[in-house]
Amino acid sequence: MREIWDGLPVLAQDLMSAGALLLPLLVVGGVLLRGFRPWSLIRALMWRFRWANLLFVLLIAVSTGMGIGLIAQERGLRTGSAQAAEKFDLVVTAPGSELTMMLAAVFLQPSAVPLLDGAAYDRIANHPQVQIAAPVAFGDSHDGAPVVGTIADFVTYLSDGEIEGRIFTRSGEAVAGAAIDLQIGDRFTPAHGRGGGADAEAHDGVQIEIVGRMARSGSPWDRAILIPIETVWEVHGLANGHPFEEGDRIGPPFAPDLFPGTPAVIVHADELWANYALRSEFTEAGETMAFFPGTVLADLYRVMGDVRQAMSVMSVVTQVLVAASVLLGLFILTRLFQRQLAMLRALGAPRRFVMAVVWGYGVSLLLAGTVLGLAFGYAAVLVLSRIVTERTDILVTASISWAEVTLALGFLSAMSLLSLVPALVVLTRPVVENLRQ
Amino acid sequence: MALPLQISDLEVRAGARTLLKVADLSAPAGALIGIRGPSGAGKSTFLHALSGLIEARGRLCWGEVDLIRLRPEGRTAFRAKNMGLIFQDFLLFDELSPQANAGLAGLFRVRHDRPPISARAAEALARLGVPEGRRTVGSFSGGERQRVAIARAMATDPGLLLADEPTASLDRRAADTLIDDLTSLVRASGKTLIAVSHDPHLLDRLDRILTIEDGRVTGDTGAQAA
Repeated sequence: MREIWDGLPVLAQDLMSAGALLLPLLVVGGVLLRGFRPWSLIRALMWRFRWANLLFVLLIAVSTGMGIGLIAQERGLRTGSAQAAEKFDLVVTAPGSELTMMLAAVFLQPSAVPLLDGAAYDRIANHPQVQIAAPVAFGDSHDGAPVVGTIADFVTYLSDGEIEGRIFTRSGEAVAGAAIDLQIGDRFTPAHGRGGGADAEAHDGVQIEIVGRMARSGSPWDRAILIPIETVWEVHGLANGHPFEEGDRIGPPFAPDLFPGTPAVIVHADELWANYALRSEFTEAGETMAFFPGTVLADLYRVMGDVRQAMSVMSVVTQVLVAASVLLGLFILTRLFQRQLAMLRALGAPRRFVMAVVWGYGVSLLLAGTVLGLAFGYAAVLVLSRIVTERTDILVTASISWAEVTLALGFLSAMSLLSLVPALVVLTRPVVENLRQ
Repeated sequence: MALPLQISDLEVRAGARTLLKVADLSAPAGALIGIRGPSGAGKSTFLHALSGLIEARGRLCWGEVDLIRLRPEGRTAFRAKNMGLIFQDFLLFDELSPQANAGLAGLFRVRHDRPPISARAAEALARLGVPEGRRTVGSFSGGERQRVAIARAMATDPGLLLADEPTASLDRRAADTLIDDLTSLVRASGKTLIAVSHDPHLLDRLDRILTIEDGRVTGDTGAQAA
């Protein structure tokens, strides 16, 4: 049986799971509604109590939408951040917090971090299994966007070579990320620092020209301006990593004694397996620290997983509270039209018909709320994704998946069973007593 | 088909208190009977017992069927087949059209019953002069609404019509018109009508008047005829 299930296409499994979840609703509906036509009465009740009904539908929709929206958003953020870190196989920094270093080197979050010296960089760059050893230097910005010093090979690797214009070939040139509002040929003066404390006049006289633009990568590097690391050092009055006789040459190799330091080195090995050996080799007590951003993210996701579980529990608690409210509301609403229901019984309507009216009414509200909730959830995911993407430049493309649809259908199905309770309670009330009220 | 009524030792109790006690009463099929009496005397209780809506003791036979011996669902089925009920405040679905209200029974009857119910509802509405169209009954006057309620009671072609203060919510003019229409419709179709009413105009048009006081039948204008 298990083998047959595993052999089914994923879509078929999803559809069958959804069908199984809806089965109680369909069975109850089939049993109650068979041979009857209660819909005109249900429509009448819907219209009569339209504002209360609308409130109910919105209550269900908001709770459903919030639950599935948050879960979908968390998944989207996880996927987006993993994709954003995809190009960063191994990061070598000075010893410290891996998370802080990863946020600074991969996600370009401003942070004061210690520097690696020239000897450390030289040892990394000259390792036979290292294909790219890109020093990165942060600290300056333009119009809020980080100006990052690095080497040309890393820019090519980061953008998969998809560069409009060309790569920088000398100090004073720059390649802009896809989200930067500067065109090829534009010039700018970097500010010292980032955010509100940036000093726009610290580097007066420095002019950097945009010579290329990277294609969109869906990472925070889309909002970065990449310049030769030599430019960063030079504008800060430091040595540029090269002896005077090398003239204007940029890029590796660097002279270790003229290397002012770098907060991180992004390492790309020629073979995947080599990364493990490199991590071990470059993790030296008190000297350097090497880590896989993917592993740090995985640890982070583990924590986020706990948060997600907490969110799921909160979502379920919310749904239960909404379910209780809906049930209570159904009790109240059925009391409002109990005379009409008693009249139906007096006219000879079977108990099952009266139950079908009350149950159909409740399920119609639940169905409308759930469908609207899915739409709310989808809209919330779109809006939140856009906000997160704009604020972090991590391309979050969250969408509603079968997991969320299944959650909503499960809620609908469970509530449809609970809706039998007010339908049954209606039948326990004496007809004559209700007619007299 | 109208059914004769035969009651003996009918008793309705609420705990230890006797709400209604009718020792012996009979009425032929097709009779038009009014029930009058002071408020709280037990008129509506009698009507509810006649329709099987409340539990009672004794014998209450419509034709060959003793309503008291039937289980609740059996009484419901008997009502659906044989009785049309008319309420003081109409109890219509304001959001539905007159036709939808009058044909309400079609919603819970078997498929082949639906077309005749719909046709009879339309015919009764036409005979009672209810305006046609897609307007909902929420916009109707009291007289028009009670006509729709009568059409609803007639739509299943029941042999018995039980009415609880059918003119109480209407003004005099509307009530008189309704009385004319109701009595002529019932007489023409040969149905039995039992109406609880304080309205002398209605009671005057009926064949027999029962007076109920303190849960007992204290007067019966047609006792000898019965």
